[in-house]
Amino acid sequence: MIKITSKKTVILSGLLLCALALFSSLTQAHHVLGRPSYSLNEDSNTPPSMAIETQIGEYFVTYMVFPAFPKPNEPGRVNIYATRIDNGEMLNQTITFTVRDDTFWGESIGIGDGAKPEVIGQQNIDDGVYRQGFLFKSRGSYIIRAYFEDNGEPYEIDFPLQVGAASPVGPIGAAVGFIFFLLLMINIVQRKRIARTKIQQGNTAW
Amino acid sequence: MVMTHPGLPLYWAYAIGIMMLLLALLTMAVKAPITSASRSISLAKLPLIGGLFRFLTKYTWPLLLLKIAFAALFITVITAGLWGTPIVERNLATTLTWNLWWTGIIIAIVFSGSAWCALCPWDNIASWLVNHSIWRRSNSHSRLQLKVPTMLRSVWPASLLFIGFTWLELGVGIVASPYATAMLALLMLILATTTLALFEDKAFCRYMCPVGRTVGAYSQLAPIALRPIDSEICRNCKTLECFHGSDKIAPCPTKLIIGRLQENTYCTSCGNCTQSCPSSNVSWQLRSPSSEAIKEAKPHMDEAFFLLILLSLTLFHGLTMLDYWEVYLSEMAQLINDSGQLIISFSIGLAVTVILPIWIYCLCIGLTQGLLKRNLENGMTKLSFNKLFSGFAFVSLPLAFSYHIAHNLTHFVRESSDWLSLVANPLGIGAEPLSMMDKHMRHMEMMVSENTLFIMQGIIIAIGFVIAAQVIRHRGHRLFAAQGITLLPMILFAALVTGFNLWMLVQPMTMRM
Ligand code: SF4
Ligand code: SF4
Repeated sequence: MIKITSKKTVILSGLLLCALALFSSLTQAHHVLGRPSYSLNEDSNTPPSMAIETQIGEYFVTYMVFPAFPKPNEPGRVNIYATRIDNGEMLNQTITFTVRDDTFWGESIGIGDGAKPEVIGQQNIDDGVYRQGFLFKSRGSYIIRAYFEDNGEPYEIDFPLQVGAASPVGPIGAAVGFIFFLLLMINIVQRKRIARTKIQQGNTAW
Repeated sequence: MVMTHPGLPLYWAYAIGIMMLLLALLTMAVKAPITSASRSISLAKLPLIGGLFRFLTKYTWPLLLLKIAFAALFITVITAGLWGTPIVERNLATTLTWNLWWTGIIIAIVFSGSAWCALCPWDNIASWLVNHSIWRRSNSHSRLQLKVPTMLRSVWPASLLFIGFTWLELGVGIVASPYATAMLALLMLILATTTLALFEDKAFCRYMCPVGRTVGAYSQLAPIALRPIDSEICRNCKTLECFHGSDKIAPCPTKLIIGRLQENTYCTSCGNCTQSCPSSNVSWQLRSPSSEAIKEAKPHMDEAFFLLILLSLTLFHGLTMLDYWEVYLSEMAQLINDSGQLIISFSIGLAVTVILPIWIYCLCIGLTQGLLKRNLENGMTKLSFNKLFSGFAFVSLPLAFSYHIAHNLTHFVRESSDWLSLVANPLGIGAEPLSMMDKHMRHMEMMVSENTLFIMQGIIIAIGFVIAAQVIRHRGHRLFAAQGITLLPMILFAALVTGFNLWMLVQPMTMRM
């Protein structure tokens, strides 16, 4: 009896581990920030764009990505406008743009290489706008961060970017694989359990 | 540009406010209610439509066909989410899930009780995978049939998952991502399959599924439920096929005995009991709406918390669609130096919104306890806080349900998608995003006129308060011999929540997509 329980525990722990592993891969799904807006910017010839307006610290920030759904090896750019909330004055600092993989727990817990950001450029104000070009070689979910300091305060503005189509095989494959593995394991345990019961019954009858 | 829907006219709010005041006074002034059995009519016995209900409960295949249709739709949603366009309003996954299903399912409870669970693709696909049988009772070896651990045997898992999903939905923003929507759907399927394979009965439906528990809780207010046609037959039944199942039909997946069923919370409308009962004695019944919430349902602590969390999350959904929310969020972000997706600020906002109504409720319960102690004789002075807490928690049900429906009506009526083109191109291949003109047109073309919508919303909120007052009056008297002034704290709680609901409805609301 003890044997069965310990086996069950091993299987259950295995399943739990699989579930956890699966969940951690599921959570790499890109997350979407704010509301997509499909309005065109005056200098854009690549609609649609993602445009987000938000308030951060002392600033009112508008940022846009062109195009909203870039493909690998296709150039794109990020535009940022930032004005002070109190007097409407434009931000005039150098902004550093970095990129990292969009892993859900990456930044907060620091798991994996994707958590380490890579600098893609430093930009100064140009006609009231900070413009940063980008070109991604491979498909994936990324987070672009604009960083600047003002009055000794650090400002970090993140926005997600999906380059190319999100991989659909991953989640489906993982889900089907997990369910298949789960049912298979349970089938084996159950069959063994039935066989053992039969043997025990046979012994008792004898 | 973000588009908003206009809110309810102020005069409606004033009218409902006056009604609330009068009703509150009346509730305290009238004599204690006389408890009588609720009346019900079996739909199977009605002259014209009775035949249809008898047919639906007798044969398996109509329900099976519906289950297959919903499972096919679910697979289409996953396909569209993973392979379709990322443009939210052009993808069937996001529009169907968030615009039609999640808004419609709450409204559907009014007409069909917990019937959603009978068609639920998570449970049905999981059952087909694990049981290797389309509908017959199965002896598949793919189930370990373990006892559900005591720790999980409550609705706390469902409560926590519900909070988690709200965080994913509104904080992480999966509403605006077909891909993430499909992932969530898959995750639910995996959870349903895993629990079905590991544990006995349907542990996922009973303890974990936030949708099922929400449907179950709200269906306590529904005017329709599966019940015995003749209670006498159930009283004399020795074999209890509804509970144990028959040769062909599986037992009740949530361990209910239909003859003794007093609350709908855990009935998944699966139809096993209608099929297994040898006397064909189970069918849909029309009953006095909300009779369960008012008197029949038994109070339990975990369920009480679920009802209150349901109320909090319903308020939270409304709150996040108001302009004020954005302002509060950015103020909070500035305060704690949160940037980017403001997820920490959002999480704090969510936690506060979940805790605050429960805390106010506790305060009102504390006041009720104090008043009862002062007013009642010695026997009742031992009245425990916990008993009062779980006994009165049903008051949150009509308050949450009425706001939930009123809020969802706005989405439903004002954001109807171009379903024809969506069905013709569910993956949105080659589709362009909605232009501002398209959005504007959609905004203007409502299913019903704006005034009709306002009238419906006003009436629904008023009904919510009326039922809440009934719950307070009946439960207060039956459980704690409370009447008159002792009911005041709970009435204030109901009035406060209804007032807040009204305030939210009066504000312009952000369009979902
Ligand atoms: S409880 Fe949840 S999983 Fe079960 S049938 Fe209802 S919705 Fe589906
Ligand atoms: S078998 Fe149980 S869950 Fe299914 S309809 Fe009957 S009472 Fe409800």
